[in-house]
Amino acid sequence: MKVSLFEQVPYRYLPEGFENQYSSAVTPPYHIVDPALMHESIYSAYAELMYGARAGFDGIVTTEHSQSSYDMSPNPTLLAYAVAAAAQAEGLDIAITILGRSLGKTREPLKIAEEYALLDCMSGGRLIAGFPVGLSYDANLNAALPAIETRERAREHRELILKAWSAPAPFPWNGRFEKYGQVNIWPRPMQQPHPPVWIPGTGTPGTLRDILRNDFGFVYLSWDGPKLVGREVFDRYWDMADEMGRDRNPYRLAFVQVAAVAETDERAEKEYAEHLMALYHGGLGAIPGTAMAVPGYVEPAGIEAMLRAGGPAGMLARMKTATFKDIVDTQVAIVGSPATVADQIEAFVREFRVGNLLIMLQNGSMPRDLTEKNISLFAEQVLPRLRPIWDDEGWVNHWWPKGQGTAQAVAAAGARTADGPREEGRA
Amino acid sequence: MTPNVVPRDETVDVWDGRLRLHVKVAGDGPPVVFFHSFPGLAWDPFLEQVATRHTVYAPEHPGTSPGDPRAIDQVQTFWELLLCYEELLRALGLDRPAAVGQAYGGMVAADLAANFPLLFSRLVLLSPLGLWRDDAPIPLMQMVAGPPEDLPKYLFAHPDSAAAQAAMAPPADPALVPAAIAQQAWNIGCTTKFAWPIADHGLGRRLHRVAVPALVAWGREDALVPVAYAAEFGRSIAGSQVEIVDDCGHVMQADQPEAAWTAVSKFLTA
Repeated sequence: MKVSLFEQVPYRYLPEGFENQYSSAVTPPYHIVDPALMHESIYSAYAELMYGARAGFDGIVTTEHSQSSYDMSPNPTLLAYAVAAAAQAEGLDIAITILGRSLGKTREPLKIAEEYALLDCMSGGRLIAGFPVGLSYDANLNAALPAIETRERAREHRELILKAWSAPAPFPWNGRFEKYGQVNIWPRPMQQPHPPVWIPGTGTPGTLRDILRNDFGFVYLSWDGPKLVGREVFDRYWDMADEMGRDRNPYRLAFVQVAAVAETDERAEKEYAEHLMALYHGGLGAIPGTAMAVPGYVEPAGIEAMLRAGGPAGMLARMKTATFKDIVDTQVAIVGSPATVADQIEAFVREFRVGNLLIMLQNGSMPRDLTEKNISLFAEQVLPRLRPIWDDEGWVNHWWPKGQGTAQAVAAAGARTADGPREEGRA
Repeated sequence: MTPNVVPRDETVDVWDGRLRLHVKVAGDGPPVVFFHSFPGLAWDPFLEQVATRHTVYAPEHPGTSPGDPRAIDQVQTFWELLLCYEELLRALGLDRPAAVGQAYGGMVAADLAANFPLLFSRLVLLSPLGLWRDDAPIPLMQMVAGPPEDLPKYLFAHPDSAAAQAAMAPPADPALVPAAIAQQAWNIGCTTKFAWPIADHGLGRRLHRVAVPALVAWGREDALVPVAYAAEFGRSIAGSQVEIVDDCGHVMQADQPEAAWTAVSKFLTA
C-alpha cells in the first residue's frame, strides 16, 4: 500500500458566517483577506507537505483550482516543484503527484507537458502525472471556455501531451483546438515513455472505461468518503475491469480520504471538529451547485438521471449544512484515535481493493501546529498498519513512479549534504 | 385572439449529410425564418401571431432537438453554424425570406445577413447579441451560471406577468420536469458554445454589409443586453430603423406582446 499526503491550500482565516454571504469559488471577494494571514496560509501548505515527507509518507499530492478560497493553488506544479526540490536537498525519497493540471481548462497544454517533465527530471523520476478534465467552474467560468467542449478539449490535450513526451522526433500537431508547426519539448520526462498517469474523477462509466482501456490509474476523488457512493463506484470499476480483461491489481486504484487523528476519539472531535466543519461549510459546501455543472458540461441524460434521483449523489449538495455527526457517520471524514482511524481505513481499503491512498490531513481553518500533530500521529501510528495491506497478494504497483524507492538522485543529494559536494556520490 | 396553430416538424439534412436539422413550420403567406435564443425553440403566442400572415420556418439550433444531443459536435465553429443555416435555407427552397432573430438568434440572423447580403429580404433583430461595449457589459455568464431563481430578473421587466410566468413554467406533468430541465440546460450549452463567454465574433466589423431593410427593436429596461446596443446596431446598418419599447425587458414578446407584434408585423408587411 502506498500512502501519500494530499493537501489543498485553503485560506485558513475566513470570517465567521462566510458561507452564508459568499461562494468559495469564482466570486469570493478578496477584501476579506489579510495579507499576512494569506502568507501564512500559503507557506503552511508547503511546510506541512515537507513535514509529511519527513514523517515518512510515500508521497505528496497537490491539486489545481483558480478563483477559489478553499484551494488557492492555481498552478499546483509550483507548490510541487518547491517540495520536490527541497526533498532532493534533504534526501527525502517521495513520490510527487499532481492531481493535476486541468486538461479541459488549459489554453496551453504544452506548458503542462513541459512543467510535468521538468518536475519529473527535478525529482529524479518521482512524478505521477494527474490528468483531470477539470471542474466545470474552473474550465467554464474561470477559464471561460464553452462547457460543451470541455471533454473534447481535455481528450485532445491528453493525447498531445503524451505524444510530446514520447515521440521519437519533433512533430506538427493539427488538432481541433491546438495547432503547432513543431512540437519538441525540453526536457522530456525522466520516466520514459511517460510518468504514470492517474485520472481523477467521480467514476462515471465513460471515464472508467477510458481509464481501463488505456491502463491508467483511477483516482476516485469525490469528498464523499467510502460509504455514500463508494460501493457503487468501486463495484462498477472492478466489474468493468473484469469485463475488459484487466487484472484486480489494487494499485490501479487511488482514493482520497479526509482523516483527523488524536490520542483518543473524544480528543479528536474536540480538537478537529470546528476546523473540519470549516472545510465542509465554508469550503466545499460553499461552491454553488450551478457552478459544478454549467449548461453543456453534463449531457441531458446525466442531468435527467440526477434530477430523478433527487439531486447529486453523495454529500456535496448537503455539505453546507452538514453536522459533525453527519460527516463522521458517513465517513466523509474519518476522525478518532489512531486505532479508530486505522480500523476504518483498513476496512474500506480491503473491501474496495484500494492500493494508493491519498490522505488529507489539513482541512479548512486547521492551524499548522494541529495539522502537524495530525500528520505525526497518522505517520507514526496509522500508516504502519496500512502499508503492508497488499503485501501478501504480491502485486506490482505499475502506477507508481519508477524513481521512488530507488537510490536515484536523492542518495547523491544526501551524500553531499553529509560530506559536502562530490561527484562520485551520484547513483 | 389568434387561432391555435400547430407547427409541423420538417427535417433537412445539411453539412454533407452529417447534420440533420429540425424545422418547425406553420402558417401561410410570405416566408419568415425565425432564429430562437439560448434556451431553444418555444412555439409561443408571438410565433402563432406571425404565422397568421406568414409561413414561419423556425429551425432548432444543432443539438437542441430532443433525442439528438450530440448533433452539436458536427458544428465546430460559429462560421460553420452560419454555413449550415445557409445550406438549410437553400434546401428548403426559400427565396429571400424575411428573417427574425431573437437575442442569440438575432446575432445569428444579423451575421447571416452580413455574410450573405442577398439571403434575406428583410431583417428583424429583437434585442440581439453580437456586439460588446465595455461601458455596457452583457451579464450572459452571470445569468447562465447563476441561480435559476435569478433568471427572470435578466429576462423580464415584469417577471410576474402571465406571459413571463408562462415562458418560465415547467411542464404541468411532474414526470416530464426532469427531462425538460435537462433539455433546456443542454440547449443553453449548445447555443452558448458560440457565444461564450462574450458573444462577439467581430459582427460589428461586418454589419455594414447588411444590405436589406432592417428593424432593430429593444426593450428600454433590457437587463441582459442593455438598450445602449440598439443605437449601435442602428448606426452600423445603413437605413435601419430602431424601435425602443418602454416598460419592457429583454423578452419583448412576454413583456409587451402587443408592441412586439405591432412593430414586427408593420415592418414585415411594409
